Parts: sequence; C-alpha cells; structure tokens
Amino acid sequence: MGLRRVALAAGAALVLAGSGACTEAVGRPSIADATRLVIGVKADQPGLGLRTEDGDFAGFDVDVALYIAEELGVPRSGVEFVGVTSQEREDVLIDGDVDLVLATYSITQLRKTVVAFGGPYYVARQDILVRAGDTTVRSVADLEGKLLCQGAGSNSANRVIEERGVDAVRIERPSYSDCIDLLAEGEVDAVSTDDLILAGYLEAAPESFHLVNAPFTSEKYGVGIAKEDIAGCEAVNRAITRMYQDGTAAWLLRKWFGDSGLDVNTSVPQFEGCT
Amino acid sequence: MKRSTEAPEIADRLATRAADRARRRMGLPPWVGRPGTRGRLWLLSALCLVLTGVLFAVTGSAISRAREGLEVIGRGEGPKVVATADLYFALSDMDAQMANVLLMGSEHSLGDGREYALIRYEQRRAAATDALLHAAQLAAGDPVEEENVRAVMEGMNRYENLVAQARLLNDEAGRPAGEPPDEVVELYRRAGELMRQDILPKAYNLTLDSGATVRSTYEENSAAASVGTALVAAAATALFAALIALQLFLRKRFRRRYNLPLAAATAGVVVLGLGAIGMLEQQAALLRTAKEDGLASVLSLSRAHAISTGMNADQSRWLMDPGRAHTYEQNFLEDAETVLFLVPENGHLPGDLESYTGEVAKAVPDPTAYPGKTLGLLGEEIRPGGVEGREEVQRETLRFYSAYLEADQEMRKLAEEGRIGAAVDAHMSGQDSVEDVFDRYERSLVQLTALHRNTFDTAVAEAEAGLRGWDAALLGSCLGFAALVVLGVRPRLAEYR
Repeated sequence: MGLRRVALAAGAALVLAGSGACTEAVGRPSIADATRLVIGVKADQPGLGLRTEDGDFAGFDVDVALYIAEELGVPRSGVEFVGVTSQEREDVLIDGDVDLVLATYSITQLRKTVVAFGGPYYVARQDILVRAGDTTVRSVADLEGKLLCQGAGSNSANRVIEERGVDAVRIERPSYSDCIDLLAEGEVDAVSTDDLILAGYLEAAPESFHLVNAPFTSEKYGVGIAKEDIAGCEAVNRAITRMYQDGTAAWLLRKWFGDSGLDVNTSVPQFEGCT
Repeated sequence: MKRSTEAPEIADRLATRAADRARRRMGLPPWVGRPGTRGRLWLLSALCLVLTGVLFAVTGSAISRAREGLEVIGRGEGPKVVATADLYFALSDMDAQMANVLLMGSEHSLGDGREYALIRYEQRRAAATDALLHAAQLAAGDPVEEENVRAVMEGMNRYENLVAQARLLNDEAGRPAGEPPDEVVELYRRAGELMRQDILPKAYNLTLDSGATVRSTYEENSAAASVGTALVAAAATALFAALIALQLFLRKRFRRRYNLPLAAATAGVVVLGLGAIGMLEQQAALLRTAKEDGLASVLSLSRAHAISTGMNADQSRWLMDPGRAHTYEQNFLEDAETVLFLVPENGHLPGDLESYTGEVAKAVPDPTAYPGKTLGLLGEEIRPGGVEGREEVQRETLRFYSAYLEADQEMRKLAEEGRIGAAVDAHMSGQDSVEDVFDRYERSLVQLTALHRNTFDTAVAEAEAGLRGWDAALLGSCLGFAALVVLGVRPRLAEYR
C-alpha cells in the first residue's frame, strides 16, 4: 500500500515540477515566429498608405511592411492589411488586434512607454509645401505672416508658431487632404508637416505644388509592435537593416517619392532599440 | 496485497525456487520477476540506485549549463558588447575633436589646445578600430551584421579623407578662431553629414544588435536553467520518495523500525536537493543582476555618453556654420531628449531648447521628487538602489548635465547677439565654459557607467564563486548515497542466503 502511494506522490511531484517549468513560456507568441501577420497601415495617406478602389492598400509603408513580413518568413498571401487612424495605433497593438503598425507612426519617448518600436525605417522631417511658382518661402522663417494650414489633432503649426517663434496664421481643417485642397485653391499659403506626407500629395499633382526642402524636425517612422515582444522587434530591425543593405529601401523611396523633388536619405536610420 | 506476510520465508522460498527454474530456462538475470519480499527488495534497491544516477546526471548538467551561461554572459559576449558600445562614443568624439581643431583656426592654444585635440582624435580612432574588431567577432557568421561592420569601416575611411582635406585647407588659410574659410566649412559639412547620417547610425545599430545577441543568449539560458532546476527538483523528489518507500517496506516486512544508512541517505538527498536548487536559483538571480543592473545599464549609459558627445559636436557646428544653425540646434535638442526626456506633470512637453533647459533645471535638485516623468537613456537610469554611492553619482551627473545646458544657452545668446568671438570663448575657454562643464558632466557619466560595470563584474565573480566545488560535492554525495543504499539493504538481502 505504502509503496504505491509513495510512487503516486513522486509521480505527482514530477508532473508539478515539469509544469512549473513550462508555464513561464506562455504568453503572446513573438511575431518572429509568425506564419500570418495582421498589419495596420494608414488608409487615407497618398504615397504612404492608401486604400485603393479594389480594397487593397498601396504606398511606401505598405511596401515596407511587405518586405519586413517576407524577411520574417511570412509570404504575401499571409499578410492581412487593416486601415488604422492615428488615434487607434496604440490601442490596436495593446489589444493584439494587429501584429505590426506601419502608419506614419513617429517614435516618441512617451509612446515608447506603452508600445515597442522596430526601426525607424525612415526619418521624415517636417517640411513646407507651397503652390508651384511661389518663391517667397525658402525656410521656416519666411512663413511670417502667411496662412498656414494644419490637420486636426496635429501639432505641426504649433511647432512653427510657438516653438520657432514664427508669426504665421494658423488655419485648421479636419485633415491634411483638406489643407492641400485649400492650398491648391489659394485659400492658404502653405502646409507644413512630415516631408514624406507632403511628397505623397505632391506626387499626385506634381505641377500644382512645390516642396521647399527646408527640413526642421525629425519624425522617426517606427514599426509599432507589442511592448513585450522584444525578439520580434529585433527581428524587424534586422529586416530593416537588410532592406537598406540590398537597395530595396532606396528603390522604394524612389518609387513613391522620386518625382517630388524631395531629398531622400537612403542610408539606414539609427534604430531606437527594443528595450 | 496478500495476507501471506504472516509467514513470509516459507512461501517465498517455494515461489522463488519455481521462478529460478523458469528464469534459467529463459536466460534472464537473477532478480527479474522474482516474486515476494526478496524480489521487491531487489527492485526497490535498484530503483534507488538508478534514481541516484539520474539525480547525478540532471544536477551535473544543470550545473554545467549554468557555468556555460555564465561564461557567455560574463566572459564572452557580454564584455564584447560593452566594447562595441564604445564604438559610437569613439567615432563621435573623433568628430567632436576635429570640429574643435577646425574651429580653432590659427589660435592653437584655445581651450585645451590643438595638440590635445589632435592626440585625443588619434586615441579615439584607435579605440574605434578596436571596437570594430570586437563587433566583427560578434557578427561572425551573420551576413547582415558583417556587412554592417564593413560599411562602418568604409565610412571611416571616407570620413578621414574628407577631414584631412579640410584640415589642410584650414591650416593654409590661417584664419582666426570661429571663421574658417568657406571651402573648409563645406568639406567639414560633408564629413559631419557622413558621420552623423551614415556612420554613426550604423555603429549604433551594431551595438544594438550585439545587445540583442546577449539578450537572446540570456533568455535561452534562463529558460533552460529553469527547466534544469525543475528537473533537479523532480529527480531529488523521486529519489527521496524511493528511499522512503524502501524504508517503509523494510519496516513492514522485516519489522525493523530504523535503518540508519538509509535514513542518512534520505537526509543527504534532502540537503543536496535543496542546496542544488538554492544554488541554481542564486545563479539565475546573479546572472539577472549582471545583465539588467550591469550590462543593460552600461549599454544605456554608453549610448547616453555617445549621444552627448554628438551634442557637443553640434554646438561647434552651430557656431561654425550659421547657414545650418537651425538644423544643428534641432539635432542638439533631439539628442538631448534622447538622453533625458522630461514629461512635466501638466503634460506640456518642452518644445524648444530654452524651455527644455528650464525643465531640466527644475528636475535636477531632487530627481526622485520631480513630479513628472523622467525618461530617456539617462533618465531611466536614475533610480534608487544599487551599490553605495550610486544615487549620489546619479544626482551629480544630472546636476552637471543641467549646468551644461545652461552654459549652452549662454553661448547661444552671445552668438545671436553677433558676438561670435565671445561665444567661441564661452564655448571653449576657461572655467564654466561649455567645454569645461561638459567635461565634468562626461566624467560623472563615465563614473556612473563604471559603477554599473562594477555591478556586472561583481555579480559574475560571485556567480563563479558560487559554482566552485559543486562538481566534487555532487559526485561525492551521489557516490555516498549509493554506498549507503547498499549498506542499508545488504544485511536484509543476506537473510535469504
């Protein structure tokens, strides 16, 4: 009797010890091992992430996402894109609705407290777009007294007016697309935001606008990823390194912004680090 | 169980003889299938001996795995990663020294003097080459990283070409400080851009990737270590259970209340098991300290140091190249925020250099009482605990950082008033100049890094000491357990002869 009971107890102890060792590995799996990926991109940003008529997504961010997915071992057929707005980006990552976010997503110290960032895959800079033929604006300082349009929720005009002390007149519209329309119609004098965003609009109507090419801030476009997935973040960084080494990054920048007159930087950006 | 236990010997003997005949026909070893008390005794004893062997094997492999992990983190990859962290600093300090040389023009005795700047430039170049060597070793076998190392080497060559030309032209021109000729500014602008936009990012990414290598090694190791510890616990529990079973069996069948050798073996297994588990967990804890409070902090602070050096170079560039002053000032601010990012209580982030400097001054007197959040490479290292004196060094580092920013504001004001000569002086000459305060800030930052490096070394040494002697102790005790088991059951088995 005693023997059997002791054997039973020993067996139970073994099972307990074994299961104790395994529970630590439970959690969300790393995207480094994923076979399918859901990636959040912008749906309304020409040149970066735009939903096309047949429901697909197209743009620089989309192509970068596909390259990264492939480097992670996920084929085109395993990637599902979903449109995300600027406000949703943190939530969809925290809730696990998407695996990666590439949506003109600037890395900031504040955001880094809730999500992790691979990359940046590009360092955009705040620049100025004016109507073609307007030669009065050559730098930020020349915006003095001009009508400057910014999209709702953006901080770009403040950066000119408050942080640079340039006395421009702020006009606010729901989105940058509306600002671009106003600029085309001559209702405002300038639109100032990330150069890649401006270049995207410019590519759509190259004859109408002119990019000033006087950058004055850095916006580090990162790949948003769940905060605890450090291995995944490191894998994304390796993919981005490859993308610059094999010339794909330079090719994609030319493909999407080549005609805009924007000075693109084709060497790999300084990464933010995953921890 | 049968009730035949009242007269075990007679029944057993009859059954044993029958079984012996059967076994001889089938050519099986003498104890297989031996029914009755004797067979069970054989079986239990053999089980105890086998489990002793298992305990020896799993504990031995857990110890050797701990030793391997310690070797990689403590002596292999870890120190190499620290060495690559110096790469960024060495490169950006090369650039800062060169900016100083060019800015001095013909006034060779400004600040610490041209000779000093040139010597330091050479030292940094040697350090950068060393660090690249370590990085190449860490990258071996990884084509992506090897390519990165090569790109940094090529970039260094191109950079040196450009600054050599700039220096030559600058020496020929012989202008006073702060007024280098245009072609020198143009050449140095290209060199600086190459350094900032191409070489330094790659160098930084190299360090990050070496850090990633250590992290994954550490994680694989600690996962394997916890499985190892669990196996040791399981093996010790099983042996303990088998020894107890054996003693219960002897007590029931042979009416012996105690069996001293077996009791001693049982106690020994408990001591060895608990001791081994405790030691393995201690190892894991020390390795965690070495990695998190040691290595990770050393890496963050080295990056803060590197980026601060870049800030210092951007001050020289700002003075030298008014055409791009805005860009250099913006770079300076962004770098400063990477080092220390403050989130004031009201959520209004400081947007320009002046308000940032003001906010830092607010946080400095007592960083732990700052009502907002302190983030960034240095900011996140400001935390209580650690070795004695660390908090004091943290506070001092912050104090000098703030003083450095204030000296910077002073210099910028002078330059914006058009007093370029006075601004260059404020930058380079005498006590409380930007360079002087920067030196003090840099020294305390290096001291803080050294404290964490010390934490790393101490934890590694302690872990190594903790492993010492375990191989012999394990072998000795397992042999001892086996001997005690044999000693304990032999007289009982002898009753059957």
